[in-house]
Amino acid sequence: MLQNKYKFNQSSVSLEIIGLPDYSKDDGDKTISIISQWKLSILNRPEIEGSVDHLKSIISAFYKYSISLLLDQEKSIETSLIDIKPDRKGGHILFLKSTKPEVDPLKIVIGNAEFADIINCLDQLKDSKNIKYDFNILIPDLNSKIYKLNDRKISYKVIIPPILAILSIATLSLISINFYEENNNLENKVSFDIITYY
Amino acid sequence: MALETIDLNGSESIFSIGNKLGFNTILPSKVTIWKLRCNNPMRKTFVSNNIKLQEFESLIKITSEMAKYLYPYIRAIISSKDNFEQEPELWNDFQNRFTELIQSRFNTDSIRVKNLVDHQLSSELYLKILITLSLCISDNGYSRLKTTLLNI
Repeated sequence: MLQNKYKFNQSSVSLEIIGLPDYSKDDGDKTISIISQWKLSILNRPEIEGSVDHLKSIISAFYKYSISLLLDQEKSIETSLIDIKPDRKGGHILFLKSTKPEVDPLKIVIGNAEFADIINCLDQLKDSKNIKYDFNILIPDLNSKIYKLNDRKISYKVIIPPILAILSIATLSLISINFYEENNNLENKVSFDIITYY
Repeated sequence: MALETIDLNGSESIFSIGNKLGFNTILPSKVTIWKLRCNNPMRKTFVSNNIKLQEFESLIKITSEMAKYLYPYIRAIISSKDNFEQEPELWNDFQNRFTELIQSRFNTDSIRVKNLVDHQLSSELYLKILITLSLCISDNGYSRLKTTLLNI
C-alpha cells in the first residue's frame, strides 16, 4: 500500500507528514488518518523526528507556549517528551527528550522568527483537509482562557475597589469615633455654675 | 500602526482587505475605520466611541489577513532583531519609522507616548507587537490574536 506524504513549508521551517488513509472511516486515497512518520526541519538546525506521540507532544507544547508568550506569561512548558523555555538572549530553547533512557536530550536554540515559522507550519497542518486528525484536543481552549482571564480581571476590578472603600470608611469612622469621644469628655468636664447675685 | 509602518499604503490596504473579506456593511468607508482607530486614547484625535463586537472582530480579521500578506517582511524584521549584531539595519529602520508614525499621530505630551517613542524603553514592546502579528496569520492565529487583545 502506498503511503501519502504532505509537506508544510513556512520560510525556514518544513514539516513533513507521512501516513495512510483509514479506509474503515471511508477516507479517500489521498487522506492521512494514520500518521506513520513525521519530520520537522528547521534551517541550520538538526532534523526532528519521532513517533506520533512525539508529534502530539510537540504540537501541544508549542501551542501552549505561544499563548503564554503572547500573554506575557513567558512560562516554561515541560512535558515528558519536550521542554520549551525562554532564552535569556530573547530566543527559545527546546529540549527534545528521547523515549530511550540512554539517549541524552537534544538541545536546540531558536529565534523568534523560527518560532513563528514553526507555529505557522503547525497551523497549516491543523488546517489541512488531507490530514484527518483531531488536533483540536492538543490546542489550548482559547475561548475558555478568555473567559477565565476576563473573570479574573472582572473579579479584581469589581471586588477590590468596594473592599478598599469599605476599609477606608471603617478606618475613618474609627478615628472619628475616638475624636468624638474625646470631645464629648471635654464637654462633660466643663460645668456651668449659675450664680445669681441679689 | 505596526502594519502601516511596513506597508506604506497601509490605510488603503486595510480598507481594500476589509472589502475583500466582505465587511462592506460593517466598515463601509475609510472614515468608519478612521473613527474606530480614534478610540485609542493615546491618539491626538481621540474620540470615545463604543466599538461593537462585529466591528472588533472585523478589525481583528483584517489585521490577521494583512499580517498574512506582510508575513515575509514581518519575519525579516524579527529575524533582524534576533541577529541584531550581524544585521541591525532592518530592525533600526522599522523602529525609526514606527516611532515617527507614533509621534505624528499620538499625543506626544502624554507620558505613555513619551515612553513609547523612547527606543530603550519600547524596543521589547515593538518586538512583542511583531511577534503577535507573525502568529496571527491563520484561522487559529485569528483566535490567538483575539485572546491576546482581550487579555492585555
